[in-house]
Amino acid sequence: MATKERRENAMLASPMVLFLVAILGFPTLLSIIYGFSDTSFQTLRSPEFSGLDNFRRVIADDGFWQAAWFSLRFGVITAVLQCALGLFLAVYLAPLIRRHGWMVAVLIIPMIVAPAMMGLMYRLVLHEFAGPIPHYMYEWFGWSPAFLTYQNVFKTVVMAETLQWTPFAFLLFLAAYQAIPEDMREAARVDGTKPWQLFRYVELPLMMPTVYVALFIRFIDGFRVFDNIYTLVGAGPGGATTSMSIYIYEAFLRQGDIGRALAAAILLFVTAFVLLSLAQRFRRGTT
Amino acid sequence: MIKKHLLGSAALLAMLAGTAHAEVTVLGWPGGPEEAALRAVTEIYNARADVADEDKVELLFTSRDGFFDKLQVDLAAGSTAFDINLIATYSIGRYAPFMEPISLSDEADGVFGDTVLSTMQFDGQQYGVPTDLSLHFLYYREDLIDALLADESQHALYGDIAEEYLGERLAPASPEDWTWQDFAANALYFSRSVNPDSPTRYGTVIQMKNLLFNMMVFHSLPRSYGGNWMDDDGNITVDSEAYRTALELAKMLYDAGATPPDSTSYEYAEANTAYSAGQVAAMVQWNAAASELTEAQPETAAFAPPSGPEGRFTHIHGLGLGLNAAAENKDGATAFLEWLSTEEAALAYARAGGAPGLTNETVGAISEDRPDLVQVGDYASNYGFVMNGATSENALSVYEAQAEEFTGFWAGTQDLDEAMTNITATMSDLLQ
Amino acid sequence: MKLGNAVRWLVFVVAALAMNFPVIATLITAFKSPSEVSRNPSLWIEAPTLQNFATVLTVSDRLDIYGYLTNSLVAALIGSILPMILCFPIAWAMARRGAGQAILFPLVVNLRALPLIIFAIPLYMMYATLGLLDTKLGLGLILAVVNLPLAFLLLVNAVGDIPLELEEAGRMDGARLWRLLWYIVLPLCRPALITTFIFGFITAWNEFLFGLMLTTQAAVPVTVGASFFFATSGGGVQWGVAAAVMIVAALPPLLLGLVMYRRISGSMVTGAVKG
Repeated sequence: MATKERRENAMLASPMVLFLVAILGFPTLLSIIYGFSDTSFQTLRSPEFSGLDNFRRVIADDGFWQAAWFSLRFGVITAVLQCALGLFLAVYLAPLIRRHGWMVAVLIIPMIVAPAMMGLMYRLVLHEFAGPIPHYMYEWFGWSPAFLTYQNVFKTVVMAETLQWTPFAFLLFLAAYQAIPEDMREAARVDGTKPWQLFRYVELPLMMPTVYVALFIRFIDGFRVFDNIYTLVGAGPGGATTSMSIYIYEAFLRQGDIGRALAAAILLFVTAFVLLSLAQRFRRGTT
Repeated sequence: MIKKHLLGSAALLAMLAGTAHAEVTVLGWPGGPEEAALRAVTEIYNARADVADEDKVELLFTSRDGFFDKLQVDLAAGSTAFDINLIATYSIGRYAPFMEPISLSDEADGVFGDTVLSTMQFDGQQYGVPTDLSLHFLYYREDLIDALLADESQHALYGDIAEEYLGERLAPASPEDWTWQDFAANALYFSRSVNPDSPTRYGTVIQMKNLLFNMMVFHSLPRSYGGNWMDDDGNITVDSEAYRTALELAKMLYDAGATPPDSTSYEYAEANTAYSAGQVAAMVQWNAAASELTEAQPETAAFAPPSGPEGRFTHIHGLGLGLNAAAENKDGATAFLEWLSTEEAALAYARAGGAPGLTNETVGAISEDRPDLVQVGDYASNYGFVMNGATSENALSVYEAQAEEFTGFWAGTQDLDEAMTNITATMSDLLQ
Repeated sequence: MKLGNAVRWLVFVVAALAMNFPVIATLITAFKSPSEVSRNPSLWIEAPTLQNFATVLTVSDRLDIYGYLTNSLVAALIGSILPMILCFPIAWAMARRGAGQAILFPLVVNLRALPLIIFAIPLYMMYATLGLLDTKLGLGLILAVVNLPLAFLLLVNAVGDIPLELEEAGRMDGARLWRLLWYIVLPLCRPALITTFIFGFITAWNEFLFGLMLTTQAAVPVTVGASFFFATSGGGVQWGVAAAVMIVAALPPLLLGLVMYRRISGSMVTGAVKG
């Protein structure tokens, strides 16, 4: 039985494994070689083994840690904001949405727009002379904040990311909310439970698995943010808006320091892998 | 669905394999006047009787966003999608290993002159035919500055402002006589944060985004104070009085509100938009912006950038076309490049809207159609400069690193000493 | 009750306006002439024009919006459907038996945290050898990789949510594994599959960097094609045309979202009833 199950599992895993090996096998292998070599665009075909040199350079680079800190902060803050807002909208608007399904369509429009283009849109919208927001601020208040200065740029990109991706969390939560069997609610209502208590003690616990998944996905997406920040403000003054992805991209293509870019990517991947494996083990341990 | 598509693309590939590479494929700079000009000369070339069918030129234009990133990957991976590709002065060193030196026509020397030809050289060899020359102009609002010159009641205020911010009492002057100090005084005077009665919100707009092209615009300033990347012995000289003075001048203008607070995220498009909105009195910008800025503000005049203690300078770099080492039709490609460096081709290119850097003798033939090219050629030969090391293998990375460090100083993430220490270390790595 | 609903409507309107503001502003910009864009930043259009859309929708020897849209459609379909096919079996094996939990799952899911563009060079070389460069299939395959983590995550989650009894019943009937998966588990996963498809399609449709690196002419997707329009007059961005092309490029996934939203909520409800 056990061997049969194992064989079955292997069969079930094989489509994905074969696909990954076919598409990413060679790139991964080559990337690992590059990560341990002195590699630039000129030496792509003749990388020279340099041991842990690239890793040492990455770890000694302030820019790397600055980018890691930016990504971590950005990922956590935007994930929490999006999930809180998305949960609120999904639950609070659910009675209306039940009757007016089109509201969902209106609310998910932002996430349908390509992030790179959303960045460009904000570039126009926030421009002091061509953008409507500063225009109306000046017209109504005679003053407008500068959204993209070093002091404000973090808040601005957090806001842009949150407004674009709250719909993602909203959609997941709406589905989870609507999947709660109506008879459970009815039972609670018969007991005289108030709406707030209904949410707190019945609905929220049932939605918690989805909340975790949404937080996790939004955190990863926030952590790896690239397109919208890159098109809106680029790497930022002194690297102030350099996320991990931007750091690796710039090291790779702009600075042509392929060895360092790949060492950073390997570090990132190994760290994430260890963390996620531990989390998986922890989850299995508790359930 | 997928299977069907697989078959479809296999068939398509088979078809392409039969027809592709019969021509010479040229990867050009998309979008601007460069594209229109290249199309025009290509048409002339293809119509020539001595060009065989299999050597006809076909053009390929991709995205302007990420153009050089993609080109780098294409070249490094040995792409055969094009035979001839765009190169720029600052990236020749990086692309040279994947390209082949070319020979120009005998006329080339007389048509372009040494300075311009050298923007396409690396390691003493010619890697490209120069097509377009880029440098910087000082654009200013003639109406505003003439009014200031005429209105003597304002001169005391102007002097006060200059004294307070620049430590030197200055009188309004004609932009053609400006030093960078005059430029700064003018920028301050026309800023509402300094002078609440200013007709414009900002006196200037400086592109301070962490972007390598912005460094090129900036470089005319430190150069006029004698700044250079390295001396003739190869010592890195970026940590100098010249660079420090220039960086501090720009930061002073930023902190004083003489350029928009969002300037640290401004590049070409944003800066032009600010000027076009009529809220900026003068700015240093690429020559390519001339028509856009003049259209939006008809009272705009253009001159060479202000001068410094060491003279007047404008950063030049060229775009050109060179030969992909992996090209499949090298003979056809070489023939086209050679023709492109003839007087006939260069003049046709200029007439169609391109901006080649031409010698005085050559430009004379089209001075009526393109008076701006006379100005470009004139400034390039009199004020044009390329920093020591700016055509080397890692030039692009140097600009990139400067963008990071200098913008950090302007935005206040690090002080000047820190920026200087960091950039010296990075440039030593990259250039030595 | 009435007041409660009024507040709900208000919340909806505020949220919709705030989240969609850049899209609305872009839509308005798309109807302004170039001179008006630089002169009039307000949300009021003085002289509406269709010129920008005409520019975008006109096919020239270089710009072909319909071609880009087709390329994106094909590549995004491959890039969103293939991951579901690949993930579904292993998602079940993992949710039910813990297979792949230790290595495969974190390995695949973490791909989402990596900027996959680091694979640009080796992928390019491999694609050049296999003839996949500048093909919709080649682009679709790498988009499938991009979508794999999310599909895996959502499907594992979905299978885990299916009440075990329903499956057990199938088992009791002596159904073989593949029949069980195909006839019982798959239909129960329909809501998650639709969600996964929509998210995947949108992600694939919106991808830019691989589209830029791996295509040149024949398979250019609309995100990259859109950027061809941005700089049609020198280096400056033509905001009006840029806005129009952004709107056009966002329409297909938008239509998909509009058509599918009913199915998402609809299938969720049926799923709930069964549960």
